[in-house]
Amino acid sequence: MKRPDDAGPETSVPAIELVDVGKRYPNGFVALAPLSLAVPAGQFLGVLGASGAGKSTLMRVLNGLAPATSGEVRVGGVTLGPRTQRAIRARTGMIFQQFNLVGRLNVMTNVLTGRLSHRRGLPSLLHLFPRDDHDIAHEALARVGLVEKAWERADRLSGGQQQRVGIARALAQQPNLILADEPVASLDPVTSAEILDLLRAINRRDGITMVVSLHQVDYVRRYADRVIGLHRGELVFDDVPGRLDAAALERIYGPRRAAPPEPADALA
Amino acid sequence: MRWRSPTRSGFPPAGLWLAPAGIVVALIVTAPLVEVDVARLAGAPRKLVEFLGHLVVMPDWDYLPDLWQKMRETLEMSFLATVIATALSLPLGVLAARNASPHPAVFHAVRQLLSVMRALPELVWALVFVSALGLGPLPGIMAMAFVTVGFMGKAFAEAIEVADPRPVEGVTALGASRGQVLSFALLPQAMPDLVGTTVYVLDHNVRAAAILGLVGAGGIGYDMVMAMRLFEYERIVLIALAIYVVVTLLDRLSDRLRARLIHG
Amino acid sequence: MADASIAALPPKPRGFFPLWAAVGVALVWTAVHDLELSFEALLYGIDDMAEYLGRYRAPDFAGLPKMLTLMAQTLATALWGTALSIAIAFVVAPFAARPLAPNRVAYRIAREFLNVIRAVPDMLLALVFVAALGLGPLPGALALGVHTAGFLGKFCAENMERVEPGLYEALSATGAGRAQVVMFAAWPSVVRETAGYALFIFDRNVRMASVLGLVGAGGIGLALHDTLRLFDFGRSSALIIVMLATIVAIDLLSSWLRARLH
Ligand SMILES: Nc1ncnc2c1ncn2[C@@H]1O[C@H](COP(=O)(O)OP(=O)(O)OP(=O)(O)O)[C@@H](O)[C@H]1O
Ligand SMILES: [Mg+2]
Repeated sequence: MKRPDDAGPETSVPAIELVDVGKRYPNGFVALAPLSLAVPAGQFLGVLGASGAGKSTLMRVLNGLAPATSGEVRVGGVTLGPRTQRAIRARTGMIFQQFNLVGRLNVMTNVLTGRLSHRRGLPSLLHLFPRDDHDIAHEALARVGLVEKAWERADRLSGGQQQRVGIARALAQQPNLILADEPVASLDPVTSAEILDLLRAINRRDGITMVVSLHQVDYVRRYADRVIGLHRGELVFDDVPGRLDAAALERIYGPRRAAPPEPADALA
Repeated sequence: MRWRSPTRSGFPPAGLWLAPAGIVVALIVTAPLVEVDVARLAGAPRKLVEFLGHLVVMPDWDYLPDLWQKMRETLEMSFLATVIATALSLPLGVLAARNASPHPAVFHAVRQLLSVMRALPELVWALVFVSALGLGPLPGIMAMAFVTVGFMGKAFAEAIEVADPRPVEGVTALGASRGQVLSFALLPQAMPDLVGTTVYVLDHNVRAAAILGLVGAGGIGYDMVMAMRLFEYERIVLIALAIYVVVTLLDRLSDRLRARLIHG
Repeated sequence: MADASIAALPPKPRGFFPLWAAVGVALVWTAVHDLELSFEALLYGIDDMAEYLGRYRAPDFAGLPKMLTLMAQTLATALWGTALSIAIAFVVAPFAARPLAPNRVAYRIAREFLNVIRAVPDMLLALVFVAALGLGPLPGALALGVHTAGFLGKFCAENMERVEPGLYEALSATGAGRAQVVMFAAWPSVVRETAGYALFIFDRNVRMASVLGLVGAGGIGLALHDTLRLFDFGRSSALIIVMLATIVAIDLLSSWLRARLH
């Protein structure tokens, strides 16, 4: 997929920059302690953390679904705020653990929703899109190998297929950045590997920056260029996956752990 | 033998007898208002049988074309009222849905408006509209549309409110606008409920339209009252039968349709 | 442009939406044509309407005590109607529930009975009862009770059918008689929903009772009919306000009660 506005991998502007970003929920709970972070364009960033550590919160802070309560978030050099949020979301794909597709709409329409931020106005409300958008959606579906399911209702698909539709929807946005919050937590191991392979291929071929939160340390080792670890809302690890040793895992998942946690344990 | 309830105290649980006891007390207190009269009630069955006896007559077959015409008018009125009410209820329902309304103040205001609209029965509004516009089906249609907007608007709003928030978040995260979220995430999810409510309202409106003629607002009701007043049992039989058949058919149809919508 | 290397989309399945839309438009057009509605008349009517509604601006509460008495009578009629409806449903519903009915014949008869009384409009019933019993709220209450028993009975019967069948079997297995199964398994399982629905029916009956007066069956409706006939807009307006206030209050009360039931 060509993205003419992309200046290339050696751009100096980081895809994401966080400066002292913190998140306190309205009920007073501090889900993210102020943290700073820069993610260069084109990086595949893995996010680790036990359940409740703040992985989803971090993802949602990055596109303003849960606005940061302190500090500054910059995406592609643009500061995230009420004014810029829509433009940033337009170029930021998001992939969810529960897929978050509109089950009653067909696959094609779900993928076309990726074009919504580019198409304001009445026709889009009536589910009408220009030819170009249909071509983009078609191409995105081809990327995830689901062209033949284009006219099926999304809720008739298997979990893995639904997640592919989620990825196609993100691709249709022609994003610079994709946020994937536990994209494989609801899938079996074989399907999980397929989905992660796909994400990595997209990352490598299109240079789209990936932020992927995962429960399985193995997957992070296999796919990520860099890993950050969260523990109770604090950034406790930030390095290459090779440095994920027992001590690092203990910092991320808490003391009692000797061995790298199994996914099931991490959930407990 | 002493009776005991299977409770700690041996008395029936308060909730189980307080409510019925309260109702019975209320019934006794209000009996004079309703002019309950045992003698009158006792005489009623004989009179009812007598009345029903009158109905065993040769129907007035010559009235059939007229009946068909009136029945058709009744159905058309209810259909138009339902169409108009649906068109008005959609935007009002969106404004009255907590998760789609642009502002809590709008949400509350529209909810109030809807509850006032559906408070009075069609016949009251039909009286008012007839007195304003003259006899004919138009005031009847307006009365039905008015009341059912109050009902449908609320039902639509509730259908939108129960939508799964995850697809909504999915579409929001893409940078979709409010209207787009509504059109792509909320309405598709609410659609079965919307259709179900519309069918239910059509059913309700046919019943309402059948009696609106009482006040000159079109439909079969006028003929029904006139036949009753003039003791034209040959017509009453036909009219009652026609209403029964139409209402029953529609009732079955709407039951079936809604069952299908619910099960996929 | 999608490039040629990509697999072609499968043929798009044809939806029936255009067909339905066309049928809908045709029906609307036919109805408008048949009823001789003209949109000019409607627009003209709206203009008139504003002026006309202006006449209701000054409600005349001179006869308030009388109005309140009539409203009380209306509420009482609705209450008696609802009580009658509960009484009928209490007896008939178990027969109209498949697992509880003694046999298929009883089941069909009970079901058809409920269908018939549901289908006959309560206004028609009120006309019949007024003819049989004379004028007054009593025939009104009877009409409401009989008609809504059709709804309540069907609702209860369907809920009883949805109760887990094992429950009835377990009781029958202890040697309980049919009536005992109904009292100990069926009604306790559905009493909550039934109470909620009965409140809903009461709401509806209050509305209907306020127009029963049109056929001589008591309540506030006849007064409104008369004042409108005399073009007494002040009194009409006052009557409408009394009705509106009462019905909205009853509505709030019953939704509060319904919320407490859950
Ligand atoms: N809307 C909210 N209001 C208040 N607290 C919240 C809210 N959302 C999340 N939290 C809290 O913030 C903390 C972090 O939640 P978050 O969903 O980010 O965790 P997570 O790392 O994604 O966990 P999981 O692996 O289970 O998805 C949790 O303790 C959670 O209870
Ligand atoms: Mg999470």
